[in-house]
Amino acid sequence: MSSGDLWVIVPLICLLAGAFSIYLIARLVTPRNEVLALLTTGIFAAALVALLELSRRSNQARRLGLPGLIWGNHSPNGAALQADAGAIVISTVAVALGLCVALYCGRYLALDHRYKVTYPLLLLLVAGLMGMVMATDLFGLYLSCELMSVTAYVLVAFRRHTDTAVEAGFKYLIMGSVGTLTLLMGMTLVYRETGSLALQQAIDTPGPWAMAGLACMLAGLGLKSAIVPGHTWLPDAHGRAPSSVSAMLSGIVIQSTFYAWLKVSLGLGYPAESLGTLLMLLSVLNMTVGNCLALVQTHTKRLLAYSTIAQMGYVMFAIGVGLRYDLPGAIQAGFFLMVAHAAMKGLAFLSKGICHFYLHTTLIDELRGTSQRLPLVAATFTLALASLAGIPPLAGFAGKWFILAQVLQTRDWATTAGLAVFLANTVLSLAYYLPLIATLFSSPDPAVDTTGVRISGWMAIPVVVLGLLVLAIGLWPGPWMEWTGHLITTVR
Amino acid sequence: MSDIAMLAILVIPVVMAAVLVIFKKRLRHLAGWCAAGAALSTVAATFVLLVCLNRGQDPILAINWIPAENITLGLHCDWITFPFLLTETIVTLLAIVYAWGYHHADERTPVFYALLLLFGVGMSGTTLADDMVLFYTFWELMLIASAVLILVWGDTSADGPSPRVVVLKYFLVTHLGSLLVLVALLTIYNTVGTDSFSALRQGLQLPAEIIPVVTCFFLVGFGVKMAVFPLHIWLPDAHTVAPMPVTIMLAAAMLSMGTYGILRFPFSLFTRDQLIGFALPMMIVGVVSEIYGALMALAERDIKRVIAYSSVSQMGYILFGLGTLTHNGVAGATLHVIYHGIVKALLFMVTGIIVHSTGRRKLDDLGGLRHRLPVTTVCAAIGILAIAGTPPLCIFDSEWMIFSGGFGTGYLALAAVAIVGSLLTVVYALWFFGRLFFGEVPDGLETRESPRALPLAMLVPTVLLTVLTVVEGILPAPVFSWVEREVALLLGGL
Repeated sequence: MSSGDLWVIVPLICLLAGAFSIYLIARLVTPRNEVLALLTTGIFAAALVALLELSRRSNQARRLGLPGLIWGNHSPNGAALQADAGAIVISTVAVALGLCVALYCGRYLALDHRYKVTYPLLLLLVAGLMGMVMATDLFGLYLSCELMSVTAYVLVAFRRHTDTAVEAGFKYLIMGSVGTLTLLMGMTLVYRETGSLALQQAIDTPGPWAMAGLACMLAGLGLKSAIVPGHTWLPDAHGRAPSSVSAMLSGIVIQSTFYAWLKVSLGLGYPAESLGTLLMLLSVLNMTVGNCLALVQTHTKRLLAYSTIAQMGYVMFAIGVGLRYDLPGAIQAGFFLMVAHAAMKGLAFLSKGICHFYLHTTLIDELRGTSQRLPLVAATFTLALASLAGIPPLAGFAGKWFILAQVLQTRDWATTAGLAVFLANTVLSLAYYLPLIATLFSSPDPAVDTTGVRISGWMAIPVVVLGLLVLAIGLWPGPWMEWTGHLITTVR
Repeated sequence: MSDIAMLAILVIPVVMAAVLVIFKKRLRHLAGWCAAGAALSTVAATFVLLVCLNRGQDPILAINWIPAENITLGLHCDWITFPFLLTETIVTLLAIVYAWGYHHADERTPVFYALLLLFGVGMSGTTLADDMVLFYTFWELMLIASAVLILVWGDTSADGPSPRVVVLKYFLVTHLGSLLVLVALLTIYNTVGTDSFSALRQGLQLPAEIIPVVTCFFLVGFGVKMAVFPLHIWLPDAHTVAPMPVTIMLAAAMLSMGTYGILRFPFSLFTRDQLIGFALPMMIVGVVSEIYGALMALAERDIKRVIAYSSVSQMGYILFGLGTLTHNGVAGATLHVIYHGIVKALLFMVTGIIVHSTGRRKLDDLGGLRHRLPVTTVCAAIGILAIAGTPPLCIFDSEWMIFSGGFGTGYLALAAVAIVGSLLTVVYALWFFGRLFFGEVPDGLETRESPRALPLAMLVPTVLLTVLTVVEGILPAPVFSWVEREVALLLGGL
């Protein structure tokens, strides 16, 4: 029986139908880039409105004691989409970021003649992401994850006339395929033992197949979430992709696979305590590797990419501690930083993209004098970097504050050691964020032109909005904390 | 009235800084006056607070910021706050006035003054904050504003380290200290359930085994800001590279924030018995710092670095005084913060005048300046005598209290070492003075009065501080009475 609340799929349909029609329009009438950008923005806006309505209805249902709205086949082995509170939060972040990116592309892609393919891919990327976090069965999760990944591969290699983009896309494709294949193998192994593909199935005494299957799934999804040591593709992919795409990939895509990672492992009965321990171990690796490698980068975007690995390490640390010691507050703090990170990293990549667009900069050194030529971008970029570095009163600081406050509630050697690594990493990260900020404001070579450049509104509006958001989350973290608290429903 | 005064201390400079940045083209020539006006109003507001405190009021402001997490934002002024607030606002004002003469004006000048104001707000906000979020935010603002000032306007001489490297070191080391403080604060927050200091004052019940850990984090974290040995590594470079007005603010006001932190947290949260285990380590680190700083000052050849290491040495006195955990020791330490602020600002101003009029900074290239800079020589002589602890100048009073506190503890030998160690201060101070103002005139140094007149803006604050050094030494009673009331709030009442 296929039924349920249709509102669950309205945002998804918005995006999928939008992708299809944009592709058709682009093929049939070849409109200008700005028109396509505006249309895509409109579709994202429609999806956002639909999501808000869905969220309202889902809240109503939750007040009545229902688990969340479901659409699809309700039978135990059926496939369905469930709009639980966590999925709605992740989807909303993705759609909102997509909206900013689509608007930004209105100018950013003006010089690329292949702009037509970007917009449908962007919509499909978000649609896949949404399907992945809403899926209630492994197969649905796998399919949507593939949809998201394949569009991501193509988007990374979007500028195919450059060798670096093709190389990065190819590497991403190979690594990503290994990830999805491992995931698929894990699913078959679990299915072999339990005969069910449901995501929430209590495996009381897991046999060897189920355990091997779960391990494979964690490895596969871990590779896609760039959990160290599966992170090697990320700096290439995020560093070489167009900035608009990097903003999506670094801001929400790997976070959503990490969310799926959590959902799968807890859904299949991995004990929360040992999962927490595992996460804490992995988080230490993530922070340290991410920060140490970011220190030695000369390319701005690669630096930002490594910083994503490090920031995910902080998120994993908080969630790990929360799971290990049963502290919902710590998990909430982790998710808070994750959502704040979407705004900060999106802002950082979009600001970097503007520098690239107008000043053709790739290396960190080339950013000298940005403050004179693009004062607005220097300001927003600084905001993003300072927030990532955890400077008060910005969003990143609020995230670190909550994480510290929660983690300090536990007192044993494992958390203390983790905490020491966390603090050391926070200081270490300053060693690359601060010089980058200083470079933005340092005076350029005398030979370089320093006249100011007028930024197009297409690109200015998204960065200003995201910048204000970073500021707002830092100044009034209360409501955001409450909102991201919905994500806890996944792990409970 | 008191609420308005507290807000004015923070809001007026911030608004003025914003105005300076926004209208930087139009205000290019007025920037110094605007900034000084804002700084002067904060000094006035500080005296309004003094009147309120004298009347027995308890100025406090609070809003509930994140009700769900029980996080409030608040401002509060008590007798622990006041001596520090006064030092900060006055030093900020004098540094800004001094900058009129010292700072080479260009199109970025309004931003320079705006950052000086923000640096000042960072410090006064830290002392006025009545909750952890504001405390930490202002604490970091102070660091950021000073770091930007050093980075952009730092001294780029060929033989010294570049400002970029210095600022990175300064930021990383002090941020590490800040994080330790944050960990300690959040531990308390988790125990008490609120971030408001007002709630802490009503009594704090911490499990006994946490108190040493929290205290340790506070002491190390604030020790970094105080720059006591071995946490001082950021100080000499930062002080040397920073432009002179910033150096004055760093040395005379910002270092005292470490002392404020120690007084505000471990000393007012815990009783003497709970901290007694830390007395000896603090005193030992204090003495080591005192002697180490003095020896390094003797070894340095750059005049700014000599005075910078002298700060390490002086902070050693303060930590020693705090470590005694006695009434006299703690009162002396607080007095020393104020007096050291006055004298250190004076000495850096003198150094700035020398650098400004000769363009040289190495001791070997300088000498016999007494003919050329007569007024400065007098000011420097008083400053040098004061830092050497000569009666009746102000630092003598505070050192007296500190050492008497030292003899009030069981560690007489240590107090004796501290006193004998202070001889080293005399040695480097007199040697420094002698080399600069007497001694042989090196090749190429003009001995007659400089044709380039010394700006009044640099001379007036210097003379003012000299007068203050003498007056405070002779008439210490008002400041003493403020500090007395502060000490009553500490360590469960000393």
